[in-house]
Amino acid sequence: MVVKISSIANTGLDVIGIDVEVNLANRGLPNFEIVGLPSKAVEESRKRVKMAIENSGITFPLKKITVNLAPADVPKEGSYYDLPIAVGILSLAAGFKLPFESIFFGELSLNGNLRHTKGALLLALFAKEKGINSIFVPQDSANEAAIVKGVDVYPVNNLNQLLTFFYGQMPIKPVKHNSTNNIYACPESNMAEIIGQEQGKRVLEISASGGYNLFLVGSPGSGKTMLSRALPGILPDLTERESLEVTKIYSASGLIPPGGSMVKVRPFRSPHHTISTVGLVGGGSKPKAGEISLAHRGVLFLDELNEFSRAALEALRQPIEDGHLTISRSKGSVNYLAKFMLVASANPCPCGYLYHPKKNCICTQREVEKYRKKISGPLLDRIDMYLEVPVVDLKGLSQNYKIGISSEAVRANVVQARSIQLKRFQRDKIYVNGEMNNKQIRKYCYLSKDVDKLLLRGATAFQLSARSYFKVIRIARTIADLDSSQEINVQHMAEALQYQMKN
Amino acid sequence: MSGVVKINDKQYPQRLREINSPPKQLYYKGNWSKGIFDNCLAVVGSRKMTVYGKIIANKLVTDIAKAGITIVSGFMFGIDAVAHKAAIDGGTQTIAVMPCGISLIHPEYQKTLYLEILNNNGLVISEFNGIFPPASWTYPKRNRIVSGISQAVLVIEAAIKSGSLITADFAKQHNRKIFAVPGPLTSLVSEGTAKLIQQGAEIVTESRDILKYYNIPDSRTIRKDKSVLKLSVLERAVIENLQQEPMEIDTLIRKMQKQSSEVSALLSLMQIKGLIFREERKYYVGSI
Repeated sequence: MVVKISSIANTGLDVIGIDVEVNLANRGLPNFEIVGLPSKAVEESRKRVKMAIENSGITFPLKKITVNLAPADVPKEGSYYDLPIAVGILSLAAGFKLPFESIFFGELSLNGNLRHTKGALLLALFAKEKGINSIFVPQDSANEAAIVKGVDVYPVNNLNQLLTFFYGQMPIKPVKHNSTNNIYACPESNMAEIIGQEQGKRVLEISASGGYNLFLVGSPGSGKTMLSRALPGILPDLTERESLEVTKIYSASGLIPPGGSMVKVRPFRSPHHTISTVGLVGGGSKPKAGEISLAHRGVLFLDELNEFSRAALEALRQPIEDGHLTISRSKGSVNYLAKFMLVASANPCPCGYLYHPKKNCICTQREVEKYRKKISGPLLDRIDMYLEVPVVDLKGLSQNYKIGISSEAVRANVVQARSIQLKRFQRDKIYVNGEMNNKQIRKYCYLSKDVDKLLLRGATAFQLSARSYFKVIRIARTIADLDSSQEINVQHMAEALQYQMKN
Repeated sequence: MSGVVKINDKQYPQRLREINSPPKQLYYKGNWSKGIFDNCLAVVGSRKMTVYGKIIANKLVTDIAKAGITIVSGFMFGIDAVAHKAAIDGGTQTIAVMPCGISLIHPEYQKTLYLEILNNNGLVISEFNGIFPPASWTYPKRNRIVSGISQAVLVIEAAIKSGSLITADFAKQHNRKIFAVPGPLTSLVSEGTAKLIQQGAEIVTESRDILKYYNIPDSRTIRKDKSVLKLSVLERAVIENLQQEPMEIDTLIRKMQKQSSEVSALLSLMQIKGLIFREERKYYVGSI
């Protein structure tokens, strides 16, 4: 007796259909085996399925059971084959008919309950693409799958509930998407709490509006980290399209909480500097998404940039440029989206007190040079805005201190500037000014004679490279957008020139 | 051009010959012209110069160089390098005294400056031949030559324990005039100069103080620093603030009570006009 159940296999964000074939043979010793390149997690599925069935009060058939995962040459991973295998065995043992054209997906607990399983959104998207109408997923993952409209998502709580449904005793209702479970931001620091740092706040506003890579340099305790952590609070929520992109990556990586749904907040990832190259950009023998993909459409914050391994940092160069990363391995290649805003911070020298108003720097010139050389030129060249974070003088502040602009107010400006940009780039495949290529710059950034002359004089005075020249135009465009100005005027351009690294 | 001048040769600088233990020979590169040793001023200072030291060194040396006085220094980074560069910009010859063999450039990354010195009728000299490496004992030996060939020594910024004070000590032994630039007492690299002044070195407040010693009349017409440029109200406010004390942009924003964007744009424009400049995070009046 053979039964065939549909399920999926995914590598990265790509999903293919898998047939789970279950055979119960009466001859031969009782046995249970899985074939079709199962990984360790799939192998162990046997133990979970057996216990789950027995603990649901059903006798596990004492027969020779063979499960084949076809096509047999694709490696199978993950724990979500538990449900299709269990359903296959039960349907043969108990003799009920399976619903036509449905996919089963989910990990079993030993007591017969279903656990939240990663990748439910990818499954739903696959089902929709293939025209499959119904999918059975764990209850905790159902809301995530229900994001996709046009597919009936059946939430399954445990095996017994599923059996009563198959016998027609109790119906299971397809879930409706519940958007109250969307994942929103809870910012860690509000701009109003940051003392001083007037220029720093302005730089954050501009970089959040235009999506610019940012480099903060300052002594320990000057507030680099605090400034960076205020960034999520001023970024606008993801648009529908962006949200789906991000949610897919998070679903594949198992980062959607039980019952969770769309990711609406822009991701803010801050990996520790001991991270490996693979951890940062993704990869491994079974390619997984790295921090840069998890920061897709959001912020990748690298605190203490100099301390990261050189190999890891150099691997960032290509994705920063392309906005995605293709990882090729012998078993195939995976493409991960990775369009992120890089925010990096560093000390000015090894001891950290170079140019400090009170403390003396104890580094020699050579040590400072060596420290700076740790970050390669090509990477620095991809930084759009540069900010020297001054040490906050507490005494001077107590007199002049007044509550600064709040994150909410800045966010409103950012949202406004971004909506102008979205309108501008309707026909282009980009969202923000930071993504403009030289051709688009020529199209959208008209410079009057005065402004052009100023830019040229400024570029000479500040010794800007050709790449920086275009960076300045992009930034000036955003400053003009923040000002709701159609054209870039002298003020906008002059301000943009202020945020470049000297030589 | 390169070569060697022995102590008994006629070209050997007379003043150097008269010191306690003159070098037996001087290896040189560049143009050993006749008049180069006539009027020499040694300019020395800290490797860890501050922006203040840089501004003063630049200003004083450029003016003195315009009067045709040869500037002698030790080719180290910091004040030394600024002095050499300012001498070249001022249009005079400069002499770099090396602490190592004549074939070495030390520090090596100042090669551009090295070539610039040679290309502008300057001279590089050393008492060591070949690729003799610099060592802790060669620096004081070098300093005695710096002081020995000059009539006077100008110390711009120096810490209490520093090579610049060693040079000043030699200058005392050699009976040379010592000039010192005053600086804030809170700065580590002004402690040495303060000590010199206490001991009787002459305070320098402008280039005329030094030119007087060389009996060179100050030919410059007194030009008042009233810029011809018309300043806007905001620009004047910035300059007035910065004249009081150089400051970071955030401090300026608070003082002027303006928006960050407005001040940023203003400072960019003023930098381009050459009214102010930025160094070590702070803004200063003038250009460098």
